[in-house]
Amino acid sequence: MVIRIAAVGDVHLDEDVVGRFRPALEELPGRADVLLLAGDLTRHGTEAEARCVAREFGGLGVPVIAVLGNHDHQCDQVPQVVGALEEAGITVLEGDGVVLDCAGGRLGVAGVKGFGGGFAGRCASDFGEPEMKAFVRTTTESADRLSAALRSLDCDMLVALTHYAPVPDTLAGEPLEIYPFLGCYQLGQAIDAAPTALALHGHAHHGSERGVTPGGVRVRNVAHPVIKQAYSIFYLGDHLDQAQVSSVGAGGTQQPWS
Amino acid sequence: MTAHLDPGAGPPDEYVEAEIHRLLTEDPAVAEQGITVVRTERGLTLYGEVESAHRRDEILRRVAGRFPDLPITSDIGVIRTQAPTEIEQLP
Repeated sequence: MVIRIAAVGDVHLDEDVVGRFRPALEELPGRADVLLLAGDLTRHGTEAEARCVAREFGGLGVPVIAVLGNHDHQCDQVPQVVGALEEAGITVLEGDGVVLDCAGGRLGVAGVKGFGGGFAGRCASDFGEPEMKAFVRTTTESADRLSAALRSLDCDMLVALTHYAPVPDTLAGEPLEIYPFLGCYQLGQAIDAAPTALALHGHAHHGSERGVTPGGVRVRNVAHPVIKQAYSIFYLGDHLDQAQVSSVGAGGTQQPWS
Repeated sequence: MTAHLDPGAGPPDEYVEAEIHRLLTEDPAVAEQGITVVRTERGLTLYGEVESAHRRDEILRRVAGRFPDLPITSDIGVIRTQAPTEIEQLP
């Protein structure tokens, strides 16, 4: 059983970018079962920019599932952004999930934007000024929604999709000082509390591709500036060759197209 | 002893760097959070990657417009969008 997942985040579309991704996206049918978009689909979160996303990522011949990012909230037009994406057939997750029937089995995808907060031992606490408490409660509420969504799905293979990072591993390359604005450990905790096979996120443009949660779940940063291609493709399956995986180096993937 | 700034010397470099960072994010014409500003002996260099050549040019134009007396170099690239030629298997 193999489920093929294509993913990218942080594409930041506007009129000046429309058409750049499309030639690569046209190759998706036959190469992937689904395309996951890890937030920051637009520059400022306007309805007009969302329509650019819809033109670029709509009608691909594979299901497209997205979460929003912080840029997609900038102009306070989230309902219009979501509406434009959904009109194009793109599913937008925020604290919920979907199950897709793929040739290799049922793929469950639970998604949430997530939020910052920092990582174990170096994180913000729900204490002090109302503004700080509101910040941390936003973090924990988002992680709680992801946890509930992950545990609600009946599927063969479970994937968590967020914009903010669930582990610090995939932030390597970013300044340490901004880690609390790039992700939080609570997302990792939610991912570890469910039988998650893979966690995908974006947001950290200077981060690195690979990481793992404390519970052993593989994490991949698919931010476009990190992967430097239109999307990455992951094969999830229980019969794949472990030796091939352990041969993966820090710099890249190992399996050419067959 | 307290050190005082020379009123005619302009803002310290760190404040300029902070202002450029905020300009890059908060200016609606830019809205980039992934640009690094590096101070060198010859001025400032901007590093990073953006989604279009137009955005790369606009960043330099905006920063140069805000700090006309500051030597600024741009080493910003446009991110490639080719289809992947490899996959990653995750058992």
